Amino acid sequence: METKTETTTTWMCDKCHKALVSQKVKVRYLEGNFEVELLKCPTCNMVFISEDLALGKILEVEKSLEDK
Amino acid sequence: MDLDALLEMSNQCIHSEPPVCMASCPVHMDVIAFVTEIEKGDFAKAYKVMEAKIPFSRLIGKICDHPCESHCVRKEVGGSIRISELEKTAIDLGYTSPKKPLLMPKNKGTVAVIGGGLSGCVAAIELDKKGYNVTIYEKTDRLGGSLWAYEGQDLESAIIEEELSVIAKKGITVWYNTEVTEANLQTYIEKYDALYLGTGAWSKAYAIHPETFQVNDTSLFIGGTLQTQNHSSIFSASSGKRAAVSIDRYITKTSMSASREREGVFETKLDYKIDTVQPIVEVAKTASVYSESEVQEEASRCLKCQCDACIKACVHMQRFSITPDRYIRSINHNERIVLGNRSANLMINSCTECGLCKEVCPFGIGMKDIIHATRQSMVERGKMPISAHDFALKDMQFSHSDYFSLVRKQPSKEQSKNLFYYPVIAFSQYARGLYKGSGKTGYLFYPGCQLSSTHTDYIGAIYKYLVGVIKEKEADNDVGLYLGCCGAPADWAGRLDLMPESVEKIHKTWEEMGEPTFILACSSCASTFEKYLPMIKTISLWEVFATYGLPEVDIKKGKRELCIHDACATRHNAKIHESVRSIVKTLGYSVEELEYAKEKAKCCGYGGLVACANPEQAEDFVQDRAHESEHDVLVYCAMCKDMLVKGNKRAYHILDIIYGNEINPDAPQKMLTLSERQNNRKRLKQQLLKEIWNEEESDMSKTYDFTLHLSDAIIALMEKRFILLSDVEKVVEHSLTCKERFYNPETLDFLARLRVNNVTFWVKYEEHGSDITVKDVYSHRMEVVED
Ligand code: SF4
Ligand code: SF4
Ligand code: SF4
Ligand SMILES: [Zn+2]
Repeated sequence: METKTETTTTWMCDKCHKALVSQKVKVRYLEGNFEVELLKCPTCNMVFISEDLALGKILEVEKSLEDK
Repeated sequence: MDLDALLEMSNQCIHSEPPVCMASCPVHMDVIAFVTEIEKGDFAKAYKVMEAKIPFSRLIGKICDHPCESHCVRKEVGGSIRISELEKTAIDLGYTSPKKPLLMPKNKGTVAVIGGGLSGCVAAIELDKKGYNVTIYEKTDRLGGSLWAYEGQDLESAIIEEELSVIAKKGITVWYNTEVTEANLQTYIEKYDALYLGTGAWSKAYAIHPETFQVNDTSLFIGGTLQTQNHSSIFSASSGKRAAVSIDRYITKTSMSASREREGVFETKLDYKIDTVQPIVEVAKTASVYSESEVQEEASRCLKCQCDACIKACVHMQRFSITPDRYIRSINHNERIVLGNRSANLMINSCTECGLCKEVCPFGIGMKDIIHATRQSMVERGKMPISAHDFALKDMQFSHSDYFSLVRKQPSKEQSKNLFYYPVIAFSQYARGLYKGSGKTGYLFYPGCQLSSTHTDYIGAIYKYLVGVIKEKEADNDVGLYLGCCGAPADWAGRLDLMPESVEKIHKTWEEMGEPTFILACSSCASTFEKYLPMIKTISLWEVFATYGLPEVDIKKGKRELCIHDACATRHNAKIHESVRSIVKTLGYSVEELEYAKEKAKCCGYGGLVACANPEQAEDFVQDRAHESEHDVLVYCAMCKDMLVKGNKRAYHILDIIYGNEINPDAPQKMLTLSERQNNRKRLKQQLLKEIWNEEESDMSKTYDFTLHLSDAIIALMEKRFILLSDVEKVVEHSLTCKERFYNPETLDFLARLRVNNVTFWVKYEEHGSDITVKDVYSHRMEVVED
């Protein structure tokens, strides 16, 4: 999975009151395991996924893995 | 899957079978491509199409005796297409001089052509192209033979000369004024690798092989008038071409006869039907040849004969521009592929398995069973895309769960005794039916999950009606009720592994209840029962209505005309078709029969879970059906109604007219959301238990201490993205209790996520005390590892 996603955002973690940072995160679907640069809370590790990312790149990767 | 048997079947499809005009053209001119270019007004391209097959097309196109025309399918409906006249105008308007011929090395062998007439010249050119060193022996001082008979009438001498000059340009040697006779033939035979004899007249009658034009096993081949025994220029040209093929095979020592069955005139398997073709008469010429506009008009009469019955009937094949022959080949590829993209997956999941193609195909080729077997095989090999059917299968699980699933015998006499007093017992057939309770379940009403989801409020009334009318006639047989899902979604999804959950439970219930007859109200249930539970006797609710009489409700008789959209799952059930029509007529409506009705019913788009796997494809089906008639539609399947209403077509379920709810024909019809459907199933079970069996169920639905506010736009988005209200509630609840959420200080919105089974749902919302206003929803299946 390519790793071109947003690197900054105004969203912040509500629990930890921390600004999100861009870091490598593990994602998986079916047989696919990837490391992707995503925004997350540096304290609690909650990962942020925007609508554009979910319905764009992520959906595309899901579909191509399903057709593999 | 037996892929080889499948491929065998694809070979039976005649989609690529040529039209009779092309098959009866000795050189197989591609008539459809030709007329298509003429219609478009591209005469240069039209001429190129001629040139591709007709030797000396600029000459023969002017004098061809057109055997194609006498077989043209248009013959009986306005007169054959004047292909030969089209050719003349195509030459006049589209001729362009050929590219300078490439000089090929001529080292494959030597051939003598005796007679430089039309067939001889054709043979010489063809052999030259194939790489032979050709010499023509002509007894006169010019080439062309019988072509010169047309000089000054159909052909100008300058053009004959110009066209024949290609022989010299190609470097073919011509010996003029050189007569070869039977007496000196042997010398030539000895000198050349092969001989072509095309002299028109000859002193000895040789026995010529009808397919190869060879004389015994010798190097002598005979074509032209000697072979054709007529004066047709096109047959003569064809024989020259075919003899050249034989000579090449003879010299290269390859099989003389392999795959030559369709040379020359042959019989096409295409039998184009003219039943629905409107006659259009031949366009008259105002001069000796058609003018530009005349020729286009004449070309437009061509029917472009091709078997496309299935693709015409099916928007699925249209969307993927495919016919079963290629479809099967893509499935074969998809199934055999080891590494790489299974690019046919989406297509395979976009067939509604409606079975229409098989009905319209002259050879009974149908995709339904093939698609079904393919989906099963994909599931077995773990290659079925999960997202295609996930939502529908989860919804099926909901129907199997205690939220909906319910089996009850008819309430006993003891249970119902509070109804047995005057006037109830006198006026309620239902109460009398209960009074006659026998304890033996003769019938089990099985409304199915979809009808229960969308036509919830009819179910209780129908049940009471059934108890009333059936007990009146058959005192012995009680009527029970069974809420559940037959498993059709699993069947469509190719999930054989999930079938037992539905089917075995139904079977067990049926046995325990003493093998009652199931009363079915859903077309998909009907076909699932037929396929998986053939031992169970079933009857459609519509047949019950038609035989026992309609429930007495105070209705205004309809006066309108409705078109009936038959359910594709019942295409072979004539009894249902009749019952429905008789009910509709009894209620005072007139019926418009659609072109695709009864056994030719078109699918609404729900079939095969296409609405789930490929919503755009489903929309094609709806629109196709909706546009078949101006009239409002009458359906007898809950899914059909849903789909049509979603496609903005006014549709009534037959229950709507039976129970007098075809009211206010101007009010927009409402589509229930996916969540409402589940809630309706829950509510139905609770209602029926309370109203009919006097059982109070504890409410299993969860309550939250926040209030969700969803705009219409958000609701529409949830529908589109297959997100349930309960999913949104879970996300919000989780975010409020665990504070796991993001906050946007600029917009003051919150964004929360929660993984529910195999999907992560995201909800963006605004929070004001306990009021939660949802601003966005989305989901993904990919799992994020948060650590
Ligand atoms: S209608 Fe057209 S395609 Fe059909 S046989 Fe005639 S010329 Fe050929
Ligand atoms: S959608 Fe129906 S008509 Fe079309 S290919 Fe599938 S079964 Fe055949
Ligand atoms: S109807 Fe369709 S499947 Fe049948 S022969 Fe014609 S093109 Fe082929
Ligand atoms: Zn945090």
